[in-house]
Amino acid sequence: MIEKMAKVEILGLKDSASEAIDIIHDLGTLHIEDLSERISGMKNKRVTHMEIDHDYADHEASLNNLRARVGDMIRDLQPDVDGMLPEDVQREYKSIWSENVEAMISRIEKMLREVERDTRDTVERKADLIVELSRLEKYAPIMSKVQPLAERVSRMEDMASIALIIERKYKTILNYLNEEISKVTNGECEIISSDVDDESTAALVVFNKRYLKQVHEFLDVQDVNQVRLPSDLARKPIDEAMAEVRARIAQVPSEIDEIDRKLGQATGKHSVTLIAARNAIHDRLEAMDAVPKFAQTDQVFIISGWLPEADVEPMEKALTDKFGSNVILTVIDVRENHGAEEETPVALQNSPFTRYFEIIYLLSKYPRYGTVDPTIVFALFFPMLFGLMLGDIGYGLIVMTIGWIVHRKYAQKPLANMAGYVMTVGGAWTIFFGIVYLEFFGDWLLRWFRVIREVHGVEDIHYLAGTANSVFKYPIGRIEGFTFMLAVCLIFGLIHMGVGLVIGIINGARENNFKHSLEKAGLLSVLVGAMMVIAKFVLGWWPAWLTVIGGLLAVGGIVAAGVGAGMGGVIEAAVGAGNLFSYARLIAIGLASAIMANVANELSREQAKGGAIGIVVGAFVFVLLHTLNIVIGVFSPAIHSLRLHLVESFGKFFEPAMVRYEPFKKTGGEE
Amino acid sequence: MEEAVKIGLIAFSAALAIGTTAIATGLAQSRIGAAMAGAIAERPELTGTSVILVAIPETMVILGFVVAFLITALKTVK
Repeated sequence: MIEKMAKVEILGLKDSASEAIDIIHDLGTLHIEDLSERISGMKNKRVTHMEIDHDYADHEASLNNLRARVGDMIRDLQPDVDGMLPEDVQREYKSIWSENVEAMISRIEKMLREVERDTRDTVERKADLIVELSRLEKYAPIMSKVQPLAERVSRMEDMASIALIIERKYKTILNYLNEEISKVTNGECEIISSDVDDESTAALVVFNKRYLKQVHEFLDVQDVNQVRLPSDLARKPIDEAMAEVRARIAQVPSEIDEIDRKLGQATGKHSVTLIAARNAIHDRLEAMDAVPKFAQTDQVFIISGWLPEADVEPMEKALTDKFGSNVILTVIDVRENHGAEEETPVALQNSPFTRYFEIIYLLSKYPRYGTVDPTIVFALFFPMLFGLMLGDIGYGLIVMTIGWIVHRKYAQKPLANMAGYVMTVGGAWTIFFGIVYLEFFGDWLLRWFRVIREVHGVEDIHYLAGTANSVFKYPIGRIEGFTFMLAVCLIFGLIHMGVGLVIGIINGARENNFKHSLEKAGLLSVLVGAMMVIAKFVLGWWPAWLTVIGGLLAVGGIVAAGVGAGMGGVIEAAVGAGNLFSYARLIAIGLASAIMANVANELSREQAKGGAIGIVVGAFVFVLLHTLNIVIGVFSPAIHSLRLHLVESFGKFFEPAMVRYEPFKKTGGEE
Repeated sequence: MEEAVKIGLIAFSAALAIGTTAIATGLAQSRIGAAMAGAIAERPELTGTSVILVAIPETMVILGFVVAFLITALKTVK
């Protein structure tokens, strides 16, 4: 349900502006309207933007600076936010917020100095170690190639060596280097190379020590990438240096862990303050950012916005209690203002059951103010269509259990929390349809209840209720009863699309748009009429007079859609009937899942005939294929059920909102 | 022999129904998928929408599957 909103204007003496803004910020219910556009369009230039006074502007710069510093500090120290008690953060937040801006700034600065004093050296040391580790790790693959060569060279006392790293695609340059260094060293040199990885080649230039200077000069001129070891290791023989590098690589992570432990202890006492300070700064800056959206004259300030109707009275009372008649709240009547629905921010207010299904609005905008909120339609049909497709008691139990665990475990993470709940309800519908199809991990129950019997090597079906020729029988096999289920799915589609069109009619009526309602009624009429005509071909007993009425409804519907929306309406009527066949996916996807489950069972049964090892292999095949089927079975029905909503059903009536209700409020210590 | 030809033709028709629609779906999804990968790189919030858009051409192969299944049912019709 879309919450009823009221548009309000708050006028007051300019002296009270700052306090009035604080009260509105505290109440946290007003969605502020940015008056900038209206002000610039006004001929009367006495109305201007509200400006932050000079001192406030200085504070804004300081607060922005503090926000960056606090953010850096939180990033460096990584306080355990999940481990903090929200009450502690809120208490600290209130304490910081209760001070005026100047005192707040100096308090946070003092706190930052303390934190920096306690942690600066450790943080710097940690950063150095991370850099060192990253640099040393670059040597690891090179070392593994060069070190054996270097060890051989180190045994020859009068020889020196230089390690090079070259891009593999330029490997041929080594021939050129060999020739040129041979010239420099009068032939007393050799280059040994080995590929490090797909991109680089390591090479070791071995030459007589007498030519050390000349070779270095030559390589510098040629700009060849030498392996430069850390300065403290550069003077050591290459094999010794590399052994040391290896030792450091092993040692540095434990040093970082030790620093993290110390940092954890040192920052523990500052964590709550840091988070509370971050939230307080955020709120203070948000309040400052809001100021230019308000208007003022020489004497008064003007604040405009929307809030839920139920919150008008508390706001009016709070302002009157504080300022008496100096600040007045007026509710603006927007009924005559065409287009007001588009400007009005939308807030949803759904029951606890349907609230989780607002997850659909992650993929779509909110419905426009004044139209019907389709969350209830989604809450009812999405899990139902999901269950209709997956339809297996075993799969349903697994989906429901996982969904519930996710829902409970991620209570603080809205997306996972909502998705878990939707999965749980989808799992329940999967169990329901599993009972209808009598499927439990495929055909196990059908065999258990001897619905599927093997007679002389041929499988036969004996229904628990009804016979193969009955229209209604139990269980409804998706493979044997494919045509029946196809018809059921199309009826589901008719109802689903029909609900969408009824909502479209209501939306038209609410907006006094008769033509819109007529178009939607026409489309509905075409759908129902077409189904009544088709029924004659499917059901032999369908009376002729109902077929005639169906035909008339279809033709009348096309005319009505044409009158309501012109040629577009007529085309939409034809496309709408086509959309109905899209619901064939409900049985098609379900059938694919059922067949896959049966294949898993058949394979595992065949394997199990092969003794103890066969049973193990069979169990492995069973678990593997059913797991795969469940994963596919969750994604595919979820995506297709979503698609049926967004394209086939919502497409018939949904009008998106331009603005979501985002009240001007404090984080209250919980950003 | 005649029965075998009939079953063969039914099987071929069913294969044609699902095969051609699967190719068509694949072609459409490859293009939509590539376009959406680009779009997501620019605007990650489109991830959810892209999943739906990529699923849209699946209607073809799904209807192909339904038709193929109905065709295979013909083998029981005398």
